[in-house]
Amino acid sequence: MPETLDSDVSLRISNITKRFGDFTAVEDLSFDVRAGRVFGFLGPNGAGKTTTIRMIVGITAPDEGSISLFNESISYATQNRIGYLPEERGLYKKMKVVDQLKYFAELKGVSRSDADKKIDFWLERMGLGEWKKAKTTDLSKGMQQKIQFISTVLHDPDLLILDEPFSGLDPVNVEFMIDVLSEFRTQQKTVIFSTHLMETAERLCHDIILINKSRKVIGGSLREVKESYGTNLIAFRGLNAERVISDKLLVDKIVTHADEQELHLAEGVDPQQVLKALIDWGADVTKFEITEPSLNDIFIEKVTNA
Amino acid sequence: MRKFLAVVKHEYKKVVLKWSFLLGTLLLPALALVFTFVPMIIFSMRGEPTRIAVYDPSGKILPRLEKNLSADRIIEKAKRAAKDSLTDINASREQQMRNDAAQFMQDFKLVPYSGQGSAEEVRSELLNKVRSDEIDAYLLVPIDISAKDAKFEFRSRKGGDFVSNDTLKDALNDAVRSQRLADADISEDRLSELSAPASLDAKGLDETGEEKDTGGVFIASFVIGLMIYITLAIYGQQILGAVVEEKETRIAEILFSSARPFELMMGKLVGVGLAGLTQLGIWVGSVAILLAFLALQTDMSAILSTVPTITPLMVLYFLIFFLLGFFIYASIFAVIGSMVTTVQEGGQFTFPPMMIMLAAFYFCFAVIRDPNSNVSFWATIAPFMAPITMPVRILAETPPFWQIALSITVNIAAIAALVWLASRVYRVGMLMYGKRATIPEVWKWIRQP
Repeated sequence: MPETLDSDVSLRISNITKRFGDFTAVEDLSFDVRAGRVFGFLGPNGAGKTTTIRMIVGITAPDEGSISLFNESISYATQNRIGYLPEERGLYKKMKVVDQLKYFAELKGVSRSDADKKIDFWLERMGLGEWKKAKTTDLSKGMQQKIQFISTVLHDPDLLILDEPFSGLDPVNVEFMIDVLSEFRTQQKTVIFSTHLMETAERLCHDIILINKSRKVIGGSLREVKESYGTNLIAFRGLNAERVISDKLLVDKIVTHADEQELHLAEGVDPQQVLKALIDWGADVTKFEITEPSLNDIFIEKVTNA
Repeated sequence: MRKFLAVVKHEYKKVVLKWSFLLGTLLLPALALVFTFVPMIIFSMRGEPTRIAVYDPSGKILPRLEKNLSADRIIEKAKRAAKDSLTDINASREQQMRNDAAQFMQDFKLVPYSGQGSAEEVRSELLNKVRSDEIDAYLLVPIDISAKDAKFEFRSRKGGDFVSNDTLKDALNDAVRSQRLADADISEDRLSELSAPASLDAKGLDETGEEKDTGGVFIASFVIGLMIYITLAIYGQQILGAVVEEKETRIAEILFSSARPFELMMGKLVGVGLAGLTQLGIWVGSVAILLAFLALQTDMSAILSTVPTITPLMVLYFLIFFLLGFFIYASIFAVIGSMVTTVQEGGQFTFPPMMIMLAAFYFCFAVIRDPNSNVSFWATIAPFMAPITMPVRILAETPPFWQIALSITVNIAAIAALVWLASRVYRVGMLMYGKRATIPEVWKWIRQP
């Protein structure tokens, strides 16, 4: 396959496959991640997300295919340009916060004096300035989470890979972390963001890829993905409409929410046609809005239909 | 290389800046002293004196036996024994020996028994006395001590007290021999002339043919063997703990995304090894200072002369063999650490390497007894064993250089193989969470490219 030199692409995954014995964890997976954007790497548990990420950060190598970062093949040298927050993560229990951070920074090739400055900056930014000399065991779960985040950005990486970064954080801290992440985004850095929380993904990601059972299911910009999924979804609120919306020729499925209904139109049916039928019938319509499918809907459908 | 050094520094500081390091540095020498001297003290502790009824129909043996067990005679014997190791005995030492002897005399209380009747009747009466706790033991002296089938019958409730039994047996032997000679019309003066002991001046020779004192060699070798054994065991566990912590807390995942697994593992081994070397260095340094200080105290020179000379070359050898042992056992413990999920689980797997270490420590006794035997040769060449046994042998009697070189080569080869093996298990095992790896699984990891 000819390598297209594309300055816009920061990470290119080309036809990678990884097997563990008889089990194929990732099969013929390809995708590009564009610079300066947030990329959602989605999929149910066991789909092959962590295996793929481990290959990107150079912990394991693919059996087939290739990975290139900034047009450079993945190696130990590229590790310094990546910040990786694993899903399963931890800190040394009996070590001071500042000492751990210094060690992690040094392992990423940051110089001593540089590390000191950056650690102070980030601890302040995270509101943990006074915990600098504390030991891990004295920190709350949320604080540990923030320290772990600091350790992934200390070396100012060009590519940030966050695997379930918000698990275990309270809503206030989730908002705070989203703020910090958006600062990162404006610096033209690439963020890969792996999660199974579709609402957060929908909010943060420009591009997504959904993988299931070690293969790619759907991918592209959020907009493309949603459009390709069709616009036959209507948020509806109204009285005296049962006869019309239960007509299987018009509406395929009704999902009832607390104060409104979601109508999945039958194939080939125009929303205008439904609205007309409702008015002709004399229904009292208070809401009739053409909506996009949520990422959650797409996720559930793609994964359960597979 | 910079990352490797960062790991070394991190691991070194993690060990050295802990309270347990300071405590261990102070505690181990104390422990070594305890291990050396407590058995001695326990053996020297005495129970109640043994009351022995002596039935001596001839009346000739009992007086000689009493004389042989007297304090003067025991001192004389002790002096003779001491002459072999110490050149002269000063006044305070003589006083101490007198006290020892007086105390020793309290071990025995000889009671003459003058019962009538046949031997059978005397025996049954004495047995009754033993049963009623009037006496602890009895000694039946035959009427004709010169007869070929003459038998001295000693029965004691304290049959297991071998220290006392030996002393009694020596005293009785002397008494009977003297009596037999006296019966052969040899005068007492002539007798003491004849029984004057040969003075044996026993000293070991080192390989250059120079004399050296053997007195303190045993203790010094034992202490060195013990120290290396304990240090290896402690630092092996340290590696196990460090590896398991990184696996258990999932830090490994972050580390592996920052540096090569081999760098991380070697950094860990070197860092912890340097910490161990630091501790050994502190010990060796303080022993040297202590000895120098003792040398200044003139009246301690007698003790100093029993301490074997330790040359700087020997110290270098000890450090080399400590490092060899450390890398052998540390890589084994690193393998165990990356196979298991918790330190407790690792504990079960440490049994085999700990047994090998213990076996090596026991081989030290064979090495001290005869440093040039075949057993000593193989025990000080064999991988896994040599790091503990070779320093002991070097101290007891330095073997030819080619043997030391061979031992180092064999062990370096073993380290190369073990480190290769460990790094292959480490890079896969550290990322396997949830369950302990089985041996076939580990085998698969090793064969993976």
